[in-house]
Amino acid sequence: MLTLKQRIDAIRKTKVEHTLKKREQNGYTDLDDFGTVPLPENYIVQPWYNSENGSFYGLDGMAENFCRVMDAHAPYVDPLEMLCGRWRDMLVNYRGDIHYMPNWRKAQVKESDFSGVTAQWSKRWDEKRFPYDHLKPLQKKYNIQTGIDGDAHLACDYTIGLKLGFGGFLEKIEKYRKINPDKKAFYDAEEKCVWAIIRFIDRHIAEIEKQIETESCPEIKESLEKMLLVNKSIRLGTPKTFYEACQWVAHFNCASRVYTRDGAGFQLDTVLLPYYENDIKNGILDDETAKFLIANLLLIDPHYYQISGVDVNDKDITNHLSYLILEAADMINISCNLTVRVHENCDKAFFNKAVYYLLKNKNAWPRFCSDKNLCEGYMKNGISKEIARKRIAVGCNWMCVPGIEFPMNDTVKINIAKVLENALDDMKAEPSKSTKRLFELFEEHLKIATEVTAAGVNLHIDHQADVTPELIMNLMMEDTLEKGLDISQCAKLYTVGVDGAGLAVVADSFGALNLRVETEKLLSWEEVYKNLQNNFAGVQGERIRLLLNSSPKYCGGNTVSDEWAKRITNIWVKTIKSQKMPDGRQLVPGWFSWARTIEYGKAVGATPNGRKAGEPISHGANPNPHFRTDGAVTAQSNGIAAVQCGYGNTAPLQIEFDPKLADDQKGIEIVGGLIKSHFEQGGTLININVLDTDKLMQAHENPEMHPDLVVRVTGFTAYFASLSPEFRQLVVERFLTN
Amino acid sequence: MNKAIVTDIQRASVHDGPGLRTTVFFKGCPLNCVWCHNPESINPNPQIMHYSDKCIGCGKCEDGCFSGAKVVCGKEMTAEEIFAEILQDKPNYANNGGATFSGGEPLLYKEILKELILLCKNNGITTAIETSLFLFDPEILSSVDFVMADFKIWDGEEHKKYTGVNNDIIKENFKHLDTLNVPFVVRTPIIPTINDSIEEIVAIRDFIKDFKNILDYELLPYHPLGVTKQKALGLPETRFIVPENSKMEILRSYANIKAKN
Repeated sequence: MLTLKQRIDAIRKTKVEHTLKKREQNGYTDLDDFGTVPLPENYIVQPWYNSENGSFYGLDGMAENFCRVMDAHAPYVDPLEMLCGRWRDMLVNYRGDIHYMPNWRKAQVKESDFSGVTAQWSKRWDEKRFPYDHLKPLQKKYNIQTGIDGDAHLACDYTIGLKLGFGGFLEKIEKYRKINPDKKAFYDAEEKCVWAIIRFIDRHIAEIEKQIETESCPEIKESLEKMLLVNKSIRLGTPKTFYEACQWVAHFNCASRVYTRDGAGFQLDTVLLPYYENDIKNGILDDETAKFLIANLLLIDPHYYQISGVDVNDKDITNHLSYLILEAADMINISCNLTVRVHENCDKAFFNKAVYYLLKNKNAWPRFCSDKNLCEGYMKNGISKEIARKRIAVGCNWMCVPGIEFPMNDTVKINIAKVLENALDDMKAEPSKSTKRLFELFEEHLKIATEVTAAGVNLHIDHQADVTPELIMNLMMEDTLEKGLDISQCAKLYTVGVDGAGLAVVADSFGALNLRVETEKLLSWEEVYKNLQNNFAGVQGERIRLLLNSSPKYCGGNTVSDEWAKRITNIWVKTIKSQKMPDGRQLVPGWFSWARTIEYGKAVGATPNGRKAGEPISHGANPNPHFRTDGAVTAQSNGIAAVQCGYGNTAPLQIEFDPKLADDQKGIEIVGGLIKSHFEQGGTLININVLDTDKLMQAHENPEMHPDLVVRVTGFTAYFASLSPEFRQLVVERFLTN
Repeated sequence: MNKAIVTDIQRASVHDGPGLRTTVFFKGCPLNCVWCHNPESINPNPQIMHYSDKCIGCGKCEDGCFSGAKVVCGKEMTAEEIFAEILQDKPNYANNGGATFSGGEPLLYKEILKELILLCKNNGITTAIETSLFLFDPEILSSVDFVMADFKIWDGEEHKKYTGVNNDIIKENFKHLDTLNVPFVVRTPIIPTINDSIEEIVAIRDFIKDFKNILDYELLPYHPLGVTKQKALGLPETRFIVPENSKMEILRSYANIKAKN
């Protein structure tokens, strides 16, 4: 008799094999694991380019190529699993995006296909029709990640899809096609995409039938037969059971990933609760099976799901399923992006259990977000509490109101280290130099950078529907199918996130100049400029670099740089919030770099905090390495809590540490206490890597030794073995700092 | 104004008492244990520590060293200055975390300690002390919330040989400590070849087991952190073998004061 535990163990083993195989096919990827499985041999997609620049755009381009990539996906049925389906490839691989392009795909394209493609500009945007050459000089000047060509950084309302099913989508498309006859192209494209998903399911049905015929183990055969019935049922029908709902979500997620790598999940414990409760009532589900199904869903894709939290009346929504989800995640214990919403009214035992799993598995899950600070902050944008409460954690650093918000979160960033560089350049020619003057110039440049960022955001929103319509996500958004409009055109909320990157570099630079040049007078402005220009060359340059770098840092605890970090945050928030936007749109500030610290660093010369030219900038809202000799996580927590932007977007606290604590009462109390105190001080989101020093160091030396080691790189988790050596080094340095 | 010499203030410590703690390391100790992992805290005066591997050869040592090659160990601080650091983590202490006064021997600085304990109490921060109990102050020891006291070697002669002082006074102070109604933990650093025998642990255990305020008897394995610092201070390096986990487990089984009753 094969137990569920034995099946899970076997599935985990397969997952490890897949991780290694994927690294072979993709090369190192400093990205989310995505839950993909390796490509089969001879996999090939012949993309259809409807633009002469060698890319595809718009309703027809996206729908046709979605069908081509989906249709190229062979079914994935592992008889040991209960759910089927996996994705392997995505549309962006055919649109010249170097950042995401795996090795296997690079091998297929010609050198000439990359013409005009840089790390910053790919062919994802139709520049021929919607050029923005006038914005590019300033975007480059301030190293802005523009958001132009971004996609999928919003969240579906899964209740819409679960209520309709794929057949229901088709009926809804037909219904509104009649009401909006002028939107024929839109409905044609939507319909075409839905049928591609149904064909994807059909191939799975055929594969399951094939496997049933040859399966000799009776319980596996029985399991496959159930899988078959479920897939047949949800092919067109509405999911009716917990099993069907999980399988439906899994298939939708595969499609949505293939389309634009959408990784936004939903409030897992409440959306699936009615199915769970109904099945339990009807005696067709037990907790062990429910856990297996959730574990299977988490295996299929590490989507960002939120669990726990409170409703609009501040009433705890934690339920029995919330516990089962944690237990399921523990059972499978892989790369996982569950976020626990924390509120003072929430079930304390549940919170403790979540912390327990963080300590027990040391696999970087779950992470935690603060309801109070996110909800109250978002309301400051003029949003009602009812809506703000629905804004859940569905991305790396970001939140979104499912179904109605178009936030572009995590796609728009300004590298403020580059803004500082421009301010420094301006001040160089001035006769009188001071940090006060430098800050004025910094503010001036920040305003220009924000204006050009806003222009980019507006260009994107105005034309995304013509370039990359969200054909899959539209299926589960409000007013899209109803009006025949893309969500970029009809969202109820346009609260667009703009993140600043490099806070610690800038704060420590101001702090070091303030202290070493102005207060202690150990250094002149001329010496500073000379050394920035020659990148601290020679042994005397190195001494000056160390002099600046040893100045008390941001997160040191009431240091000069901590004060500068707060001033910089104030000016950042003021500048972003005062930026005028059309059509009810508004910008929302946050601090986040995502995994682009290396890339952003390469664009910035030497900085007055003793950072050499081209070195990575600081991560997210985190301090620079060696911010304190004791690396105190409490000091880091306090420092980051003090630089929150306060409008519902995050400045995450990212901690890597080995507290040498057991998963016992003391460990839970200490780590749980740290989480709560960060939130009580105003913190919004915490990503904690509780790591085992020996294991991490062994894996750093030889990644093959621990192919199952998961780290939270930034907002996302990834297998350590899949990261590039450069990125592994960054994670290890962050770890050593704590 | 009273000042103390402090070697370091370490925040977010999880091994110096309950919860998350800020540990203040005072400089100066009446003992001179050969295995000391904080040898920089023995001499009560500020000292220069040299880490030659960090030297960049700039030739400007006198103008200030920023590479970490030449470090001044020991900073004069008032109680207010120390407390300002402790206060920073007040939001993180939760129910049972707080300040721990360690060293060196914190009881060398009685007046400062009294001020600090009062400041902590007035601000709702719990306090703990780590002491060799070679010094004693009933007022201080009865005013902290928790005491961690070392009992290093049972035999008096051996104790003098390896720590520089006899332990008669320490034994008396342990008895006195138990009358103060303050919970305490007894700790023995396990140094191979010196005190890593079952007989040694049993002798200490039998001495402490009937104290009414004792919470636990902990054995801490030797670790060689102090060797690098001895070198940096220009002191002879004394290195011991790190005891194996299996050995620690055996010794711990004899140190279990809860089981003895």
